[in-house]
Amino acid sequence: MKLKTLALASCAFVALTAGAQAAEEIYFINCGGGDDEFVPSQSEHIAAWEAANPDYTVNVEFIPWGQCQEKSLTLAAAGNPPGIAYMGSRVLKQLAAGEMIRPFDLTDEEAGTYSEAVLNTVRFDGNVWGIPRAFSTKALFWNKDLFAEAGVDMPDGPQTFEDVLTAAKAISESTEAKGYGLPAASFDNTMHHFLNWMYSNGGAVLDADGKVVFDSPEVIETLQFFKDLTPYVQNGPIAYDRGKVEPLFAESQVAMMVNGGWGRFRVGDVNYGISPIPAGPSGDHSTLLITDSLVVFAGSGVEDAAADLVKTLTSVENQEVIDKTGGWTPIRLTAMAEELVAEDPTWEYFISAIPTGGPEPLMLEYVAMQDVINEAIQGVILGEIEPEEAAASAAEELRDLNGE
Amino acid sequence: MAARPGRGIDWFPYLLLTPAFALVLTIVAWPLFETFRLSLTDAAMKPTENYVGFANYVEIFQDDFGEIILRTFIWMGLSVTLKIILGTCGALLLNAALPGRAMFRILVMPPWVVPIAIGVFMWSWMYNGQFGMISGVAQRIGLLSEPFEFMAYGQSAFIATIVTDVWIGVPMVTLYLLAAMQSVPKELYEAAWTDGASRAYRFRRITLPLIAPAIFTMALLSAIWTFNSFDIIWILTEGGPRGATTTMIIDTYKTAISRFRYGEGAARAVMILVFLTAFSAVYLGLLMRLTRRGGQPQ
Repeated sequence: MKLKTLALASCAFVALTAGAQAAEEIYFINCGGGDDEFVPSQSEHIAAWEAANPDYTVNVEFIPWGQCQEKSLTLAAAGNPPGIAYMGSRVLKQLAAGEMIRPFDLTDEEAGTYSEAVLNTVRFDGNVWGIPRAFSTKALFWNKDLFAEAGVDMPDGPQTFEDVLTAAKAISESTEAKGYGLPAASFDNTMHHFLNWMYSNGGAVLDADGKVVFDSPEVIETLQFFKDLTPYVQNGPIAYDRGKVEPLFAESQVAMMVNGGWGRFRVGDVNYGISPIPAGPSGDHSTLLITDSLVVFAGSGVEDAAADLVKTLTSVENQEVIDKTGGWTPIRLTAMAEELVAEDPTWEYFISAIPTGGPEPLMLEYVAMQDVINEAIQGVILGEIEPEEAAASAAEELRDLNGE
Repeated sequence: MAARPGRGIDWFPYLLLTPAFALVLTIVAWPLFETFRLSLTDAAMKPTENYVGFANYVEIFQDDFGEIILRTFIWMGLSVTLKIILGTCGALLLNAALPGRAMFRILVMPPWVVPIAIGVFMWSWMYNGQFGMISGVAQRIGLLSEPFEFMAYGQSAFIATIVTDVWIGVPMVTLYLLAAMQSVPKELYEAAWTDGASRAYRFRRITLPLIAPAIFTMALLSAIWTFNSFDIIWILTEGGPRGATTTMIIDTYKTAISRFRYGEGAARAVMILVFLTAFSAVYLGLLMRLTRRGGQPQ
């Protein structure tokens, strides 16, 4: 009897194992806690894809920001890559150079649904290396009550670097608040924050040929602007990343800050206004365009199916649902953008900046580049180095990283 | 092992050594060898790697590595010195015949027992200028006129990371030295007390010489741990601002993991091993010379 039971159990085990092996698994690493607003919609889209592709199952794992990219890369370096991973588009160049991800074939029709500026965040060497999944642009948030208290009359908010300095000085000198919330920690959004201002002054890290131009007059002017602004920012800006500046703005301890669309939900009771990133003396309103992408790793054994799933998840219809539920700036050129602006006019500042925005510089040594730029910014803020010298020194290091 | 007369080699002792040998080979020798091998390659985020000889080592010394080495030794020296001084004071107090001594011995342990990440996050809140306790108290008693961000400036960040490391490290030093103090024969104190020796004299002439070996051992161990201390600096400053708290271990992590330059990172890891080995050798050499000269370190 026992032998019979054992034999039956073995048969059942073998049958179940064989059944489980019949469907191949696509391992999908997604950044976040798994409780974001877009997750239920994404789960529905995945379930629909699985129903249409019964040979595959999708195993989605949510890993907190800060570890998710590292986990994907570590798995890939160990020869066991995930099928799909959510990555900041800034790392795509390094992944592509390492032959760790494979490019996507986008039809002209598909490519036409993205603005060039967005597509440029994932396109280089003639290939599209990731499909944009989440998108952010930035604008200037300003506290109307503090402006009024300081007697600053700017009904549409500061429009130029000079306006920002004037308002920040007046507010710092005549109220208990500081004029501007400046993030300058050794963190990625310190560089991102700077790039918003640099693009609005016509500067760039790399030119169209991929050469470093960080020592241009426009970049030096922007660093000088940061130096001039420093007396009117919160104490010790180098201890603050953007996330730590948000509560200062919400508590009216600083009168201005740069933030993305989500910032509108983190302002507390502040009576605030939004304006485009103020223009520098050598430029016009602009913004940094940041995208996160879905990428397909090479070597997972399910690359084709994974690519198909990514295309399904990011189709015009599905992505629109994700953008809406996630509260993200619309990635694709659809009627949704107009609808959003009609519903909430403040979207205008985040959407209208897209065509003139600049991408994250796609440099192979992205993290090293970020460290170099952050150190230049910090040096200027701390008064340890003059803007011209900081720009020249950083440009030299960047050229070295860029192999020039 | 020599063969016994009239018999072949006795392999049994070697057989008994095999598991230990295999263990050491697996968890010590092989990773060390692999790290060294990697340090001779251009391994990075790419499918292939090529041997580049000692190019990674040459590259290291063309950077600001000398500055990082110096900073690491200063950081370690200050931290270990403070830990030993405070640990010795703590051990003396806990060794004193005071009521509630057992309770104090338990109370000294939390910084050591609390998970390091939690302890360090607590300190990062205390160092915060806007909401932190230290800046708040300093303003209230008039030491500061406005909030001060400890992590925003090179010197204050450097000191703050040392203070946190000392806070975490002192309990172990205290308990270790307390155990050493308790092994000092009571008769020596009684004889000295009978001869009219003061408390300070007894400490200088009896306690300190007799616990000196424990102090030196603990100092060496503490130096090695502190040299390799990663989590405290990483959580508080990530090596900033402007590299002011970047020690060798932080530099290695940034190179190998954040920048995906595995070969160069491995070379830096090898340099840590070299420096620690050299430091330990010099330290032990000095200790042995002192021991030979005075019978024991004075």
